[in-house]
Amino acid sequence: MNTGFYIAQQVINAISLGSLYALVAIGLSMVFGILRMTNFAHGDMMMVGAFGTLVLGWLGLPFGLAFLGGIAIGAIAGVIVERTAYRPVRGSADVTLLLTSLAVTYILENLGILVFSSSPRNFPIPDWMNEALQFYDGQITFTQINVATIVLTAVSLGFLGWFVTRTDAGLGMRAAAEDLGAAQLVGLDVNKLIIVAFAIASGFAGLAGILWAAQSGIVEPDMGFTPLLKAFVAAIIGGFGSIAGALLGGYILGALEVFIVAFLPSEVSPYRDAIVFALLIAFLLFRPNGLLNRTQEVKL
Amino acid sequence: MRPEMRFAIGLALAAGLATSAYAADDTIKIGAPFNVTGALSSLDAPALNGAKLKLKEINDAGGVLGKKLELVIYDTKTDPTVIASVASQLINQDKVPVAFGFTDSDSVLALGPIFQQAGVPFITPGATSPKLPEQIGDQVFLACFGDNVQAAAGAEFVAGKLAGKNVYLLRDNSTEYTTLLAKYFEEAFTHNGGTIIGRDDYKSGDKTFTAQITKIKAGAKPDVVYVSAMPDDIGLIVKQMRQAGITQPIVGGDGYDTPLLTQVGGKASNDVYYSTHAYMAADSTPGIQKFYTDYKAAYGMDPENAFAALGYDTLGLIADAITRAGSTDPAKIRDAIAATDGFAGITGSITFPKDVRVPAKTVTMIGVKDEKLFLAGEVKPTFIPAP
Amino acid sequence: MSRAAAFVATIVAVAVVAGLVAILPQLVNDYIVRVVIVMCISGVLVASMGLGNGFTGVFSLGHVGFVAVGAYVSGILSLSQAAKHSYLPDLPGWLSGITLPFLPATIVAGLVCVVLALVVGAPLMRLSGYFVSVATLGFLIIVNVVLINAVDFTRGARTFTGVPLETTLRWAAGWLVVTVIVLARVVYSPTGRRYLSVREDVIAARAVGIKVLPARLSAFTLGAFFAGVGGSLYGHYLGSFSPASFYMAYTFALISMLVIGGMQSISGALVGVVVVTVLSEVLRNLERGLDFGAFAIPPLYGASQIVLGIIFILIMIFRPSGIMGDREFGLGRFVKRKRA
Repeated sequence: MNTGFYIAQQVINAISLGSLYALVAIGLSMVFGILRMTNFAHGDMMMVGAFGTLVLGWLGLPFGLAFLGGIAIGAIAGVIVERTAYRPVRGSADVTLLLTSLAVTYILENLGILVFSSSPRNFPIPDWMNEALQFYDGQITFTQINVATIVLTAVSLGFLGWFVTRTDAGLGMRAAAEDLGAAQLVGLDVNKLIIVAFAIASGFAGLAGILWAAQSGIVEPDMGFTPLLKAFVAAIIGGFGSIAGALLGGYILGALEVFIVAFLPSEVSPYRDAIVFALLIAFLLFRPNGLLNRTQEVKL
Repeated sequence: MRPEMRFAIGLALAAGLATSAYAADDTIKIGAPFNVTGALSSLDAPALNGAKLKLKEINDAGGVLGKKLELVIYDTKTDPTVIASVASQLINQDKVPVAFGFTDSDSVLALGPIFQQAGVPFITPGATSPKLPEQIGDQVFLACFGDNVQAAAGAEFVAGKLAGKNVYLLRDNSTEYTTLLAKYFEEAFTHNGGTIIGRDDYKSGDKTFTAQITKIKAGAKPDVVYVSAMPDDIGLIVKQMRQAGITQPIVGGDGYDTPLLTQVGGKASNDVYYSTHAYMAADSTPGIQKFYTDYKAAYGMDPENAFAALGYDTLGLIADAITRAGSTDPAKIRDAIAATDGFAGITGSITFPKDVRVPAKTVTMIGVKDEKLFLAGEVKPTFIPAP
Repeated sequence: MSRAAAFVATIVAVAVVAGLVAILPQLVNDYIVRVVIVMCISGVLVASMGLGNGFTGVFSLGHVGFVAVGAYVSGILSLSQAAKHSYLPDLPGWLSGITLPFLPATIVAGLVCVVLALVVGAPLMRLSGYFVSVATLGFLIIVNVVLINAVDFTRGARTFTGVPLETTLRWAAGWLVVTVIVLARVVYSPTGRRYLSVREDVIAARAVGIKVLPARLSAFTLGAFFAGVGGSLYGHYLGSFSPASFYMAYTFALISMLVIGGMQSISGALVGVVVVTVLSEVLRNLERGLDFGAFAIPPLYGASQIVLGIIFILIMIFRPSGIMGDREFGLGRFVKRKRA
């Protein structure tokens, strides 16, 4: 097999995986930027979004509508969690926020099991999405889902870029991320901004969840946890709290994961997750602000 | 409140709760610890559902020894400490004379020693590690064949029907089942003269296998790809392999026995073969047809995987043993289980050879054609790797 | 507390525990005894977790990583020769030749964790807030990956089994007493006050000459020792375990005990263990469904976890420092209690 094609194929794989990580990491970073909260329950919005789409599909909605509905359900779930669990502890110690979100994860996953059982379920998608595109005699292959993932990620990013630079709510969110107290002082409705931030972050997670389910073909209650851990790594590599950083981190992580397995000897590939998390620790130690974020006090 | 007092209240609560469980004498209690929640629930829950179906059948037919059977079900939450507590609860509080449960060896190993010590027999419907009984002791039985048997059957099937000489071995390295299955397959396949031309690992829960797949395509072309996988992953692996242009037969073990294989795989699942406990389809044996219909009627869906049928058979096996023992004495039930000869289950006939507590069962090979399952063969392997 | 009073208190406490341990198996059945053993093991783990997480304020999510190392190290050391031959044939010669009794194996497991904690903690204890939480979570994940891949030593993802079942109530309660005494000695000493000042205000602590890194690192390391000990107790209680036993689910279970009880006191850790364990056991039995004759509640498996999660959040909202906060139990009227 031609080495050039092999590399090209792996790059495509990396972009597709990286897009998903980026979608999750952006929401994580957005919430962190405003509330300084490491939101473990963020991954569960993927599960909520995917199950939302699945249920709407059962109710007879065409896939496109179910898809949009799933994103909306993810966004609503995020807002509900913020309103019921996070707002009462807002402003508490870092650890309190972190632990609250851990408990929310625990509840949501078990709720998912109670309602849907923990058996994975088939996630039906339209046939065209499964179609494989082959180039150069099948030496480069990718599917319509990969294309859809990349396109939808790009569209969402475009929307987010427009939102945070061109709308009042978006500008307010950035102000809140800069300094929550000051934003409140100048009269911004912080509660509303935080709700908007959670809606967007969770909607993105819902989208990632649906795409994840479409790629893997199944939905299950704990589907969000592993991507969430990876999104943490992505967000921190990029600079926790920075949207652009999360985007960059997502693609770097996607590339790293694919390349470790593709280009290193097979004795190394089982250690992929160890390498990824060692990188995370290295970043925390030597470059805690990541690649793009402004300086914050995190070390002694 | 002082800690001792809290402690005392806690104990009183737990003890009160424990004694409140009303014991009726007109039933025979059978312990049923299963991981209904937690990581293993997608395998354990169907097994329990299957068993409940059998329970209803037995009781509707009048029960055993003139008494109704009663399942004492506990959710062990995929937590070894809960499993150990439940094991003790079943023996000391509920005083069950026999129990069955679990689909993985971790759980059985956490519970087994406590049953062994108490001299109460335990049958696992789905933990296919053939080492289990010897690891724990003479009270523990398998109702399914061991992984060494199904791997050997798969190896003979590959060399025979599929005429494969060179196999690429891909395995999930995160579970005991998949690592053992791959190991036994390699032993049996190379013993029969085949060659493993490449191997790679992934981890259950991975969603993209493109890196592994690209590697398979980059090397020498295998005749067959053997993938040792868990049920949650196999549909996706098959789909991604076919999309990437790997057209060779894909072969594996009973982890493939889930509707997800054809649902997720779609037409990609064609030319996939696997070893399992029974051919589960509408055109199968009458026993399985009935099981299929009843399961759907009771739970609103097709059986999720082979463990449902194994749970069904295991309770049948226990009822049969109690009948033959003519008593609810644990020691007599144990001996009756060990003496089981030709119990006709829907997953095949169960016989325990003398002093072996893993049944000699025929392995069913299933294939997929036009997105439908078909019976590809029944194999009784000639060479079986040592457990 | 004066020295003499503290001494008396310790003696009384030890005597009470010894008495309970002696009579408990006569009073209740084996199931309850087992629940108590699990409580003692959890007590060792949660109290030691509270040392770093509560007293120095460095919230580590990696404690279970040390528990895993402790379980595996002690397991390898105390496996019989025959078991080693059949389960771990590829073990290096110097390890396959030795079989240690329970106590030395447990202590060695703790010491291995100490070394590991020094190596890991030296860099990580420089971090603060959620950064240290995420980094230690990374440590836990790395331990998990290494355990799965170090097949010669751990059997990989396969169940590690054959560990002698030696954790009796005596052993578990004995280690719990040792843990509590050692931790209490450390926490209510000048060292302990350094921990508190480091937690409350890093800059002020440095200003008065307290070295932050050594303070955090010593707490982390001591905590790791008892995590290793607890891991050994756990391993010798169940006899078999796998890397999956020591991962997120166990981490959440221990954290919920610590947080619900209150992480700023040793009593809090113990109260949390008792409350969460009893609650889980009660809920676990309740969720099986109730039959009142006239009407029945169907089983709702998983409900116990949800109730526990909601209690956790309510504690976070209304009592973020847990049931006990920073209070300790005295021995009531036996010993006159003064603030440390």
